[in-house]
Amino acid sequence: MIELKNLTKKYNDFTAVDGLELTINTGEFFGLLGPNGAGKTTTISMLSTVLLPTEGSIYIDGELLTRAAQRQKRKLSVVTQEYSMRQDMTVEQVMEYQGRLYFMPKKEIREKTEELLRFADLWNYRTRTVRHLSGGMKRKLMVCRALMVDPEILILDEPTAGMDALARRQMWQLLRRINEGNLTIILTTHYMEEAETLCDRVALINKGRLGYVDTPRGLIDELGGFCVEVRDAESDGQSENSAGTGETAKGLSAGHVTYSRYFSTRQEAIAFLQEQNENASLRVTTLEDVFVERMKQ
Amino acid sequence: MGIITVLWEKWIEFKRDFYKITLAAMITPVMYLVIFGIGVQTSSHGEPYLNYLIPGIVAISTMTGSFGAITQNMSVQRLYEKALDQVMISPTPLWQFILGQIIGGSLRGMYSAVIIMLLVTPIHTGLTFGPMAWFVMFLNGTVFATIGLTLSFLAKTYADAPKYNAYIIVPMSFLCNTFFSVEQMPNGFRQVVALLPLSQASGMIRALSHGEGIGISGIIILLVYIVVFSSMSVGFIYKKKNL
Repeated sequence: MIELKNLTKKYNDFTAVDGLELTINTGEFFGLLGPNGAGKTTTISMLSTVLLPTEGSIYIDGELLTRAAQRQKRKLSVVTQEYSMRQDMTVEQVMEYQGRLYFMPKKEIREKTEELLRFADLWNYRTRTVRHLSGGMKRKLMVCRALMVDPEILILDEPTAGMDALARRQMWQLLRRINEGNLTIILTTHYMEEAETLCDRVALINKGRLGYVDTPRGLIDELGGFCVEVRDAESDGQSENSAGTGETAKGLSAGHVTYSRYFSTRQEAIAFLQEQNENASLRVTTLEDVFVERMKQ
Repeated sequence: MGIITVLWEKWIEFKRDFYKITLAAMITPVMYLVIFGIGVQTSSHGEPYLNYLIPGIVAISTMTGSFGAITQNMSVQRLYEKALDQVMISPTPLWQFILGQIIGGSLRGMYSAVIIMLLVTPIHTGLTFGPMAWFVMFLNGTVFATIGLTLSFLAKTYADAPKYNAYIIVPMSFLCNTFFSVEQMPNGFRQVVALLPLSQASGMIRALSHGEGIGISGIIILLVYIVVFSSMSVGFIYKKKNL
């Protein structure tokens, strides 16, 4: 179990993370969502001890996480947002370095390296230096490196950033598979579909503060599981709240004002839809809708 | 164990860049030897100036070899590649990482010294470099590895590493008992320069290579530098808020 208690990070007058209080359970697949600059990566950097908190603390299974806390750090493995690897090492050497840093026996390093690189289709590139790999290959290598050490907690900071759709799906499969054990995964991502598909619970974070924490389904239901989008050229652009069933959003699209109204039941949504002209459409609410709506607040 | 891992990483780097490292360690000393051995043929203290110069060049080479290896490498790892993150996250004790870096840096300094020895072998100078001289070279390399490590933690940008070289290493190379004795310097300035690690190392290596004995004070001064700067490095890696 990971506990963040009043976790705060300040850079002079700027507060990047502001009193985060969060508990992540063992075996949970937890998503940390927020816009750019929300404080996600800063939180991850504190979890990986690269940054030290200005205030507050992090506990792993009840024990304080510090840079000297070897036992707690042994449980952690991190895939950072940047390619945090020696660019002049070969793929094999990156894996060996990781194994050595975690005190793995040589035989195990060799076996694990082959298993993971084959799994990630990197085996044929094992003698290639990191700087000569594509962005997607580097991402896969970083995940392989993180999995090399059989962590109990895997922290992934935008692991699929820059990956094509196919590679991203492969990564999802891999993450689902490794989460079948008792591995705790913390994921930050800009892809809402990714969080909705993978995460047991998500937290919305904005301007360093924690907002909503719930399951993706719970967050969607809270907003309203059905969304009616109305495109109305004659509207003055002012939104109105629907009768207790959800919230109203507006945006500009092709010169028309678009309203999104959320309803908790299909019947309510259809009833509203029928009142509208032909420019209205009904669909199910997604986590992306929740994200967009909540970030406006 | 963590120390071995760092040394392994250094070995990988050394093997890969063997020719570049070797060539870089040779160029400056060769220039000095050519200029002062073939070009400006002069004498000092009743013997060829080369005999005075070679111990100084050995001291400079151990300094630049170890300082360069650490400062450049760590600045790139910390600020550009972010490869230090991998170490920070791992359970390897950070003091072992620091110690490994220092030993690795010292060994690179020693390698530079070996290159000089090979270069001057054909010149029959009569200088002898015994175990004590090698020990001083190792200490000198260790001092500058610790200084390099500390400065690399202070660097804010990748461009800071060359600045350290320009502000610290180049002036020391010329002033610290290498090309001429600190005794020739003006009073006040002389005492300060004499306390710098390269002045001590250079003086001790020169005395030992001429078959003379050395006092313990020089060794103590180098050890003080090592303790101060390695403590600072350990302090930074454990306590610096934003690495």
